Amino acid sequence: MNFDLDTDQLDAAAGAEQFFSGQASPAQARAALEEGPVAPGRRALADIGFTGITVAESAGGAGGSLLDLAVVAEQAGRVLAGPSLVTAARAAVLLADHPELAQALADGSRAFAVVDGDRPALDAVGADTFLALVDGDLVVGGGAVVTGQPMDATRGLGVVTPTDTRVLTPDAGALWARARDVALVALAAEDLGTAGRAVEVGVAYAKERHAFGRPIGSYQAVKHSLVDAWVGVEQLRSLVWWAAWAADRAPEELPLAAASVAAFAAETLERAAETCIQVHGGIGFTWEHDAHLYWRRAKVDRLVLGDAAGHHDVVAGLVLAGALS
Amino acid sequence: MSRVDFDDTPDEAAYRARVRDLLAEHAADLVHLDAGEEAADARQQEQALRRTQRVLADAGLVGVAWAAEHGGQAGTLAQQAIVGQELARARVPSLINHIGLGMCGPTVVAHGTPEQHERYLARLLRADDVWCQLFSEPASGSDLAALRTTAVRDGEDWVVNGQKVWTTLAHVADFGVLLTRTDPDRPKHGGLTMFVVDMHAPGVTVRPLRQMGGQSDFNEVFFDDVRIPDSERLGEPGEGWRVALTTLLNERVAVGGGGNDLGLSVESLARLAREAVPALPAERQVLARQAVGRAAVAALANRYTGYRRLTAISQGGLPGPEASAGKLAGTAAAKLVSDAGVRLLGDDAVFAVGPGDDGREGGAGRWQRNQAWLPGIAIAGGTDEVLRNIIGERVLGLPPEPREDKHRPFNAAGSTR
Repeated sequence: MNFDLDTDQLDAAAGAEQFFSGQASPAQARAALEEGPVAPGRRALADIGFTGITVAESAGGAGGSLLDLAVVAEQAGRVLAGPSLVTAARAAVLLADHPELAQALADGSRAFAVVDGDRPALDAVGADTFLALVDGDLVVGGGAVVTGQPMDATRGLGVVTPTDTRVLTPDAGALWARARDVALVALAAEDLGTAGRAVEVGVAYAKERHAFGRPIGSYQAVKHSLVDAWVGVEQLRSLVWWAAWAADRAPEELPLAAASVAAFAAETLERAAETCIQVHGGIGFTWEHDAHLYWRRAKVDRLVLGDAAGHHDVVAGLVLAGALS
Repeated sequence: MSRVDFDDTPDEAAYRARVRDLLAEHAADLVHLDAGEEAADARQQEQALRRTQRVLADAGLVGVAWAAEHGGQAGTLAQQAIVGQELARARVPSLINHIGLGMCGPTVVAHGTPEQHERYLARLLRADDVWCQLFSEPASGSDLAALRTTAVRDGEDWVVNGQKVWTTLAHVADFGVLLTRTDPDRPKHGGLTMFVVDMHAPGVTVRPLRQMGGQSDFNEVFFDDVRIPDSERLGEPGEGWRVALTTLLNERVAVGGGGNDLGLSVESLARLAREAVPALPAERQVLARQAVGRAAVAALANRYTGYRRLTAISQGGLPGPEASAGKLAGTAAAKLVSDAGVRLLGDDAVFAVGPGDDGREGGAGRWQRNQAWLPGIAIAGGTDEVLRNIIGERVLGLPPEPREDKHRPFNAAGSTR
């Protein structure tokens, strides 16, 4: 048993951190709320190879594991990067037997989004190729996208009506389920980065800001709420790594791991973001401060791909069916 | 560094098979219980539990990761974890000397003399001697360094007077690690000294305390002119706080830090839920599933965080303040598991033990005992609040609480004395 990243993954994380910190930021996430572009954007993500991390080498990808993708996704989450690596991870699973489309995912020549019926789809804004499950078949085609005023513009959410679809894989229910579980893991990995960053920002401020003659971080009320948020982040990291490992190496554990990490990520990020605002006091409630951008990500991600109540119910269903026996 | 992998390596798989064979071979000499029953049955089964540990030790299954020079098997932490898993699978209860193995032993290893190693460690591993940890006092719990039990040098001996409390296993223990104040003129952390004390020595009085759940796992211990030879000192005089930190760090790894479930396991909840949830009306099933799902996720998050911590320790790290997070989160997960289990019992749970309940798997008594045991876990070995302070200050680097008595001589006016 070994439960730590290897040196390649640590190097990949360091490289991803460098890339994302130069290409995206909460400031750009704020600008995107006011019609600015989503950063780094599809082109840059494809050029550095991040849309193809889990695409097979024969299709122009890196042939990496979901854990390889997760360590990069965490870094993307720290700076609220968009579009999401969730879409890349999910599409790579769906397109595994379709090398031309997989290649287009990896090289960025097509902009994919994956559609769950009439629910808002991640990265639908600006997408040109949509994957959906229709009557049990995996289909691909164009689509008409309807968006509202975004809560978090980096997520590119829109309701999609597919057009001109053709069947890519008939009877694809199991493939679709696996791809969805992989998406949950990637989403949790991005949320891990966002939550970790929100806690860091809160901790840094609690060390600086003084009230009643001492740093506010010395008061247990403030300290303990930051600690609880941090403990959640560290536990989330464990579930992300387990779930990613399961996707790669123990597929029978993936449904339990994916639902578990999805539920835990939603609540952990929400707590981290709300703690970040609360620790900052009034400044944390302003448009100019970054805190609300982490909070926006939390409030959106807790709903995309299902909410925590739904994920907990999936976990319970698996337990009642014999998991954890 | 190799890649993340939860599967046994070929070596680990072979080791696991050997452990299973050994447990099967010695099954007749081992106590077997349902998880969660240890607390109720430990006292009456003391001799059987001592024998169980001795048999396991002689089979090479105790002190797996301890150095050979200390009587251990010089194995890996992964092997130790495998033994723990296989003992649980075989329904062998936690070892009677778990405090000795988890806390006292590592303290003696780190700070004891070669003579002390020789005298104690092999016997500790075989439960020839059972150990306890004599730290907390009536007036110093979380503020441990404010303790008042004194040790005064007298020739080749030290003479100890005072009182300890919440001492788990003191009523069966043969030896204890004892933290005392030897220099009240120094600030409180600087005047402490650690000893090994013979629990059968004249002047040691042990009184069991009854816990809220009715059992007696812990005790108060009185010291009246108890003489301890200087050769039983652990570390230098005045260095007791440093020695105690070794014990405390090991305690937080032993209690929850390795990701082990505290109290009844999530698997126990899963078994109960499979029976109880389908029997509920549909609208109640929705709520019950939420509780079961939430408890399972919390337990899994804690379990896999424990695996990460064990990996870090096995790669040469020492248990650090991060282990406090394991106990904190483990306690929270245990409460969710316990609460889900008790609520699934419904009306049966208004009785501490239901009519006709023999305390076996699925019975109300088992979940009720667990429920009444968990408040103690949130206190023992560092309260939730103290653990949050440790994590906040030593992991996150947040500024410390003001500690007005920290630099003042212990016996000065206005100290905690």
